[in-house]
Amino acid sequence: MLRKAPAGGRAVASNGTTAATSSLPVISSEDMCPVCKTIRYLNKDMEFLINPECYHSMCVNCVNRLFNDGPNQCPYAGCRKTLRRKGFRSAFFGDLSVEREVDIRRRVAAVFNQVEDDFETLKDYNDYLQMVEDLTFDLVSGTDAQRRAAEATLQQWELEHKADIERNRKAGKEADEQSRRRLAAEREAARQRRMEALREAEEEKLERARSREAELDSLAQGDVGAGAQRVQLKRRGQAAANRAVEAAVNAAVAAADVGRLSIRGLKEKKKAPAPEGPYDPFGGMDFVPSRYKLRAGLTHPGIEKYKHDPAHITGGYSFDEYMTRAMFEAFAGLGVFIEDEKEVGIGLSAGEVATISAGIAAVGDKMELD
Amino acid sequence: MEFNIDDLPVLFPYPRIYPGRMLAGSYMVDLKKTLDAGGNCVLEMPSGTGKTVTLLSLIVAYQQYYPSHRKLIYCSRTMSEIEKALVELKALMKFRAERLGYEEEFRGLGLTSRKNLCLHPSVKREKSGNVVDARCRSLTAGFVKEKKEKGEDVEVCVYHDNLDLLEASNLIPNGVWTLDGLLRYGEQHKQCPYFTARRMMQYCNVIIYSYHYLLDPKIAERVSKDLSKDCIVVFDEAHNIDNVCIESLSTDITEDSLRRATRGAQSLENKINEMRESDQQKLQDEYEKLVEGLRGADDGRQEDSFMSNPILPDDLLKEAVPGNIRRAEHFVAFLRRFIEYLKTRMKVRQVISETPPSFLAHLKEYTFIEKKPLRFCAERLTSLVRTLELTNIEDYQPLQEVATFATLVATYEKGFLLILEPYESDTAEVPNPVLHFTCLDAAIAIKPVFERFSSVIITSGTISPLEMYPKMLDFPTVVQESYSMTLARRSFLPMIVTRGSDQASISTSFQVRNEPSVVRNYGNLLTEFAKITPDGMVVFFPSYLYMESIISMWQGMGILDEVWKYKLILVETPDAQETSLALETYRTACCNGRGAVLLCVARGKVSEGIDFDHQYGRTVLCIGVPFQYTESRILKARLEFLRETYRIRENDFLSFDAMRHAAQCLGRVLRGKDDYGLMVLADRRFQKKRNQLPKWINQALLDADTNLSTDMAVSSARRFLKTMAQPFRAKDQEGISTWNMEDLRKHQEKMDEERIKELQAQRDRELNPPPAAQAASHVGAGQAESDYEMDDFDEAELMALDNNA
Repeated sequence: MLRKAPAGGRAVASNGTTAATSSLPVISSEDMCPVCKTIRYLNKDMEFLINPECYHSMCVNCVNRLFNDGPNQCPYAGCRKTLRRKGFRSAFFGDLSVEREVDIRRRVAAVFNQVEDDFETLKDYNDYLQMVEDLTFDLVSGTDAQRRAAEATLQQWELEHKADIERNRKAGKEADEQSRRRLAAEREAARQRRMEALREAEEEKLERARSREAELDSLAQGDVGAGAQRVQLKRRGQAAANRAVEAAVNAAVAAADVGRLSIRGLKEKKKAPAPEGPYDPFGGMDFVPSRYKLRAGLTHPGIEKYKHDPAHITGGYSFDEYMTRAMFEAFAGLGVFIEDEKEVGIGLSAGEVATISAGIAAVGDKMELD
Repeated sequence: MEFNIDDLPVLFPYPRIYPGRMLAGSYMVDLKKTLDAGGNCVLEMPSGTGKTVTLLSLIVAYQQYYPSHRKLIYCSRTMSEIEKALVELKALMKFRAERLGYEEEFRGLGLTSRKNLCLHPSVKREKSGNVVDARCRSLTAGFVKEKKEKGEDVEVCVYHDNLDLLEASNLIPNGVWTLDGLLRYGEQHKQCPYFTARRMMQYCNVIIYSYHYLLDPKIAERVSKDLSKDCIVVFDEAHNIDNVCIESLSTDITEDSLRRATRGAQSLENKINEMRESDQQKLQDEYEKLVEGLRGADDGRQEDSFMSNPILPDDLLKEAVPGNIRRAEHFVAFLRRFIEYLKTRMKVRQVISETPPSFLAHLKEYTFIEKKPLRFCAERLTSLVRTLELTNIEDYQPLQEVATFATLVATYEKGFLLILEPYESDTAEVPNPVLHFTCLDAAIAIKPVFERFSSVIITSGTISPLEMYPKMLDFPTVVQESYSMTLARRSFLPMIVTRGSDQASISTSFQVRNEPSVVRNYGNLLTEFAKITPDGMVVFFPSYLYMESIISMWQGMGILDEVWKYKLILVETPDAQETSLALETYRTACCNGRGAVLLCVARGKVSEGIDFDHQYGRTVLCIGVPFQYTESRILKARLEFLRETYRIRENDFLSFDAMRHAAQCLGRVLRGKDDYGLMVLADRRFQKKRNQLPKWINQALLDADTNLSTDMAVSSARRFLKTMAQPFRAKDQEGISTWNMEDLRKHQEKMDEERIKELQAQRDRELNPPPAAQAASHVGAGQAESDYEMDDFDEAELMALDNNA
């Protein structure tokens, strides 16, 4: 162990202007602890810690050995800082001068946290940025006097702009939080979409296999009537309609979401073609009476006697049906105003019809039974 | 020959023309339509049939006939293609001059790298292009000249300085200059050909250069900045254009490049300190300029600017540089912090994929680097390097890469992804981290081109399916067309072999690719075709890995010994020099009658740039569908992106990509009308992908040939080769696959007659409405009837679909 620690040696050599920067190791040796000269070969999990007091790195063992019994002097030659066990941490950067610079920046950024909106012109903002940068530079690598002056400016600014700083800090925190949330939401949405796509592909495959099997079955049973084929076709049409409706619903949900979170790379996609539902003979008209209410126990003396007549109460004849029809006929035509109809056009718009029929298609599982 | 399209007189330098060029709704007509409408188009034209000359002759005619004189920018992929296009253009202009009786006011130039165009006695001897660039810059930069004028003793390039003595808009006389011609002219007049071409670009009618000068934003900014908006831009051989776009915006950062970037930053700092002591004023000047805004600092951004910058939005360029990187030393510290951060990130030992916003958030948290100064990084570095008058630019290359990366990552939120791969492969023990900054969206790089130029023409021999390109590159088209070939004889025979002689299906799909029966069947296929093919035969494999494994298995089975009896066997390797040696040997063997088999890879160099015309390639055998390596993280990310953004499904894209490479391989063998060859696709899966082949191949592929076993394929190939062996004279082609003036006139007359007839019929209808109405009512009735029929028909079709599925 006659070799001199390269890091330590250089630190001494680069003894420069001020106490803080004087003995900074320029390069942290990755493989040897400059204090106990242990090399990585002997201790595979060797880890280096630094103390932001002087940024001298040493291995965990050294730190434990030296500082477990309370504060002690830094073991580096020429460094007189007193260090505590608590102050040690592992460095984020490989280059410790950068580590130190960033620590200083953290301190500066906590005070100088003005944003562009706080300034009237861009030029002012840029001048401000440069001022901050100059100050940081003074703190990092200035002479003693410069450093003191910078410290003073920093403190003065902190005193003067306390309210602003606090406000900006909060705003910054909020913005950070928001962007983090947005990122998370985006990632989640992307994951969802991926799952969805996977599922879709899977389903399609399954569906294909199923229909193929059904086809084979029907072939095996002989009798391949046109009827069987038709059922087959209908089922496929149904599946397509189901998918379309689902897609429409998803699109609606997504549209509602748009305000809240932006979806990465989502383009306005072409509208899914209006799903073809089964044929609706009434064109979407419904027959729930609007001008009167049909009470359940409605009777009329005229028909009372027939209720006991076996000729009428046989097979499937319903008095309620009769009443409904009679009422419908009585009111039919009452609400029709020819002029209005001429202007507005009859019935619902095509879009409404399509939506309704799509709705029917969506729930109409029983359709394929008949 | 000379003919008219609509009112435009076209002079075609050859006495004969292929009908596909001329037919109504065909290449020239469509081209003209596109130019008239001022839109973009995608055209597919069979390879090796004079696509270039057709394009040039129409566009030149268009330029000369219409008063607007729109400039043509013709982009091709390789040097040889550029040279070929220049020769064609020269021939065309000579022909025009003969025909018209006078020389037109016309200038056509090609541009290529300094390495190819340098005349400086010592610089041109350098081997590497980068070194030539760097040395050239150190001799020709603006400040070097200034120093010289001040009387300092610096080396300059005579060839370059002579240019300044000439009239700036007339460095070279009119005419078409091939690269060789340009070099010769430069030598005679002692002027630099490279800068001649660069500076004359504004005054040219036709510019021919490589894609990169237009697509790579780093180069385009400098080279193609002054081209006007109404230029006609043509991308030839554009089937890979999306990959070129993506590559031009992607960067890979390794630990080594970071180390060198650190060194670069260090030496930059030293230089700054030196300059502060010697010439404080210069730094101060730069600083003053930066306070005003970036552009101000950059009015010297011209041909000799040192480093390149990725695309920046224009508003950014007008804005002033952020205050915290205005000073040189601040900027260097800023760079150093960024590099250190990247180094730390590279230490992570698991795969990370990250979007730019999340990267920026993390960066800000740990280094207090904001997004805005990061965006200015590349521009700021360029400015600094210019101020410091650095000449040894190659030392700063890695630093430049990092700065470019910084700018891109801060500029684009979408369409990019950072992927950190700590290990080279899954099994590797020693970490070798690479940070891939990949562009996922091909549209980003090409967008400025579409925005700036009104007519962009994308064309290639194999660019199917056409609709994929507008979708991926995100542009509208006026015309999308694929043209077929008209041939006097079937000069190529495409076949799909799905089974071996033992009826076992063959495929290179992952599950079965190493099964002995599959390997043996492929081996048999190779032997059989080696037996019957005259001269050269080219075999394509999906990957190097598979090629190696199958060759070693063939060796074990004795198949290679069998092939050896008929042909020499040569193999492509990733090494360029070895491959070129193999190619040379292959050519020799093909010429002296021994014949040879070249085993190569569908995505390698051979499949892209090398023609196997005539005896050099009589059979091309494509073993397996050349899918991309789907486990690659970058590819996965890109697929995901395509699905989310452009609604292109993974499988669609993979299959499209595989088939365009397959088509590219097949196209290697047929390079002209008197050429002939076999095209064998050997994989079960090709059967379903048949429709994705280019139209001209698909048309020639008979249904009977889509599901062959080895022995059947061999017998039909034999038959084909026998017919091809019959004497064939150029005269036989006339009127069918080539037209002379007479045929052309006949065709045009026919077309005209048809049009007249049509017009007459229309007028008749207008004149006698009653019968027309009657006819209409007839039609109505017919429709009512056919409504019922439709139903049945529909059902039948659906059933057919069912059966297919």
